Amino acid sequence: MRHDIVSRPAAAVARLTFDEGESLTCEVGGMIAMSPDFTVETTTRKKRGSGGGLLKGLKRMLAGESLFLNHFTATKPDQTLLVGPRLLGDVIHRRLQGGSMIVQGSSWLASSTAIDIDATWQGFGKAIFSGEGLFWLKCSGEGDLFLSSFGAIYEVEVDGDYVVDTGHIVAFDDTLQFAIRKAGASWIGSFLGGEGLVCRFSGKGRLLCQSHNPPSFGALLGPKLKPR
Amino acid sequence: MIEFACDQCGTTFRVAAEHAGKTAKCKQCGGAIQIPAASATAAAASPTQSSTAPSGTAPPDTDQPDTNATSAVIRGSGDLFSYEITQRPDFAMITLTLQEGGRVFAEPAAMASMSPAVSLKAGFKGGLRKTLGRAFGGESMIVNTFTADRGPGEVVFAPGPAGDAAHYRLDGGSLLMQRGAFVCHGPGVEISGKWQGAKSFFGGEGLVLLKASGQGDLFFNSYGAILPVDVKDEYIVDTGYIVAFEDTLDYRVSVLPGLRAGSKLKTFFFGGEGLVCRFRGQGRLWVQTRHVQSFLSWVHPFRPSRRN
Repeated sequence: MRHDIVSRPAAAVARLTFDEGESLTCEVGGMIAMSPDFTVETTTRKKRGSGGGLLKGLKRMLAGESLFLNHFTATKPDQTLLVGPRLLGDVIHRRLQGGSMIVQGSSWLASSTAIDIDATWQGFGKAIFSGEGLFWLKCSGEGDLFLSSFGAIYEVEVDGDYVVDTGHIVAFDDTLQFAIRKAGASWIGSFLGGEGLVCRFSGKGRLLCQSHNPPSFGALLGPKLKPR
Repeated sequence: MIEFACDQCGTTFRVAAEHAGKTAKCKQCGGAIQIPAASATAAAASPTQSSTAPSGTAPPDTDQPDTNATSAVIRGSGDLFSYEITQRPDFAMITLTLQEGGRVFAEPAAMASMSPAVSLKAGFKGGLRKTLGRAFGGESMIVNTFTADRGPGEVVFAPGPAGDAAHYRLDGGSLLMQRGAFVCHGPGVEISGKWQGAKSFFGGEGLVLLKASGQGDLFFNSYGAILPVDVKDEYIVDTGYIVAFEDTLDYRVSVLPGLRAGSKLKTFFFGGEGLVCRFRGQGRLWVQTRHVQSFLSWVHPFRPSRRN
């Protein structure tokens, strides 16, 4: 599968070219346009491998993703597919080679069907305390992974300790340990300061962050809208 | 800063040092380029970069180092005016420089600024029936006319959503636009609403398209960037992402293809991409990279809930 990310960074989309038989698992609603020769299946599970089942589907829904995933498989060579996220922002590609990445639920856009997407990973239930409606997906295996961000993406090479606001995390290597902490010295100060909870990473690995925080943008818009 | 030349066509590029060692695509010839670790002069001084990536992730591949073709300025000229589309693809603005007597017709509220030599006349254009047709198409019933009647001047149009804009020269054929995509046109172009009938009943936004025909220049906009697609045989687009297409293309709204009959409903309700437009034939199609409706569905959960 060849890929090309166009119109970066604010309105980025991934343009993918498939050979016959190659396939991709995509966020529901992520498909923008495609060549005619794809078979499309909607499932609650991964097409192959062990990532499936209704329970995992439900967990994915908790993780901010839809319960359903779409699988696109090319039936002829040279088929193109355009996939993009909902919010204005960038798209980035990572090639997983047997390692794992922990991805923020709403930043996952698409991945090769060979990659296992596990929403059950919670890092000892820490995610529950991460607040702000954030949950995590563990992506592992070998293949291509496409992530999206709200705003720009920046990369931090962590060696030692690093602190990130939970809403700004896109993904990180699972070689990094992390702990949810309060931002300031005291709980009251942390929340009054608007920083709430932060993630403190330690170890060695790559961390991807986004310049804007989706939950706080939502919290800014929400009160100005009519009640539903 | 690293300076290097493409192996195939010899074009030189300058990219930031952080792109060292990555592969990119040549802007000029499209060939693959391996970006060297540093310029020849700096190579001796700089230490060799370690190529071992932690935890099995490969280094990122920046597809195009600052050579993104979608951000280029579009320039050209039409009947008694020249145009320039700048700030693409995120905040596109259309600047028209009118010669004396030049005229341009625009959707109301599209004008951002203009010089005093240009006068604005709001009004119905093309009679009541055409006006109503435009109203069905989601555009306002009124088309504003900008005339440079006091000497040459310029008008700047900024479309409603943050996004891209494109120019199309009509030469006797016609172009169909998604509702809301129309910004402005030069003399010689007719805009009308086009009732699509039952074939796009499910289309939601695809229900009525605006049809532009005649001979002249046309400008349309999008939410997100605009990507042109040359359809040669067949192509499928989610209905919400269509911006415009040439009417040489035959189109039909349907559910995603290739599904078993029994699973159509499932995809319709849960798959998100239930409704697509299938284009056939030869012609050009423009798709946008974002969709207002899916942004709204993202915002929806943040709305306060009504208390009884």
